[in-house]
Amino acid sequence: MSNLNDRLQEFKKNFESGAAPYNATPERVAMMHRATAELKASGIEARALKIGDHAPDFALFNQDQIEVRSKDLLRQGPMVVSFFRGHW
Amino acid sequence: MELEALKEIDTAVRELGARIVVLTPELERYTRALHKKLGLPFDILTDLHLKIAEQFGLVFTFPDYLRDLYKSFGSTLDRFHDESEYRLPMPARYIVDASGEIRAADVNADYTIRPEPSETLRLLKELVRTERGP
Repeated sequence: MSNLNDRLQEFKKNFESGAAPYNATPERVAMMHRATAELKASGIEARALKIGDHAPDFALFNQDQIEVRSKDLLRQGPMVVSFFRGHW
Repeated sequence: MELEALKEIDTAVRELGARIVVLTPELERYTRALHKKLGLPFDILTDLHLKIAEQFGLVFTFPDYLRDLYKSFGSTLDRFHDESEYRLPMPARYIVDASGEIRAADVNADYTIRPEPSETLRLLKELVRTERGP
């Protein structure tokens, strides 16, 4: 199993080189870097929940439109919660 | 890429009595297709309008210049999320114990860096070992 971040960095390198299918221009790459730097500088990371905090309960619909409750999951054991930006 | 990497640790996570859930602002019609395409063994939950991500403190709004850039790539987040705001969660992964307490947290404002699944698995093993005692 290769490391996820190695694979991500490989993708990033390829993307930033301007290769197809993305054909990213240097201006666009610079814009994306600027946005990430601004977000980091905003201090948002330090404001997120951290170790020792209580995780908010949730009841959300899954891909089959079935409601999933965090309380039900936690009755069985620990839970790994991963936040995902999206498929795009 | 990240979801596929999580898929690789799912069996080991279940063997520890734990579960993976993925939260995304995307509507079910998109999560359904993605879930099927990747053959995921865990649920993708629609965190509609980022209500839960907000409680975790992870939500940010795209600056205008970036919104225009992504639009030019053909990404229409307003449609994927059922809202006009271009808001997203920072990539983050938490381990929550049975009492609801956060025992591990990995948050990064740089979306090109994601929490490593092998590290999540290692932390989870450590947690389960601690809870079970010597």
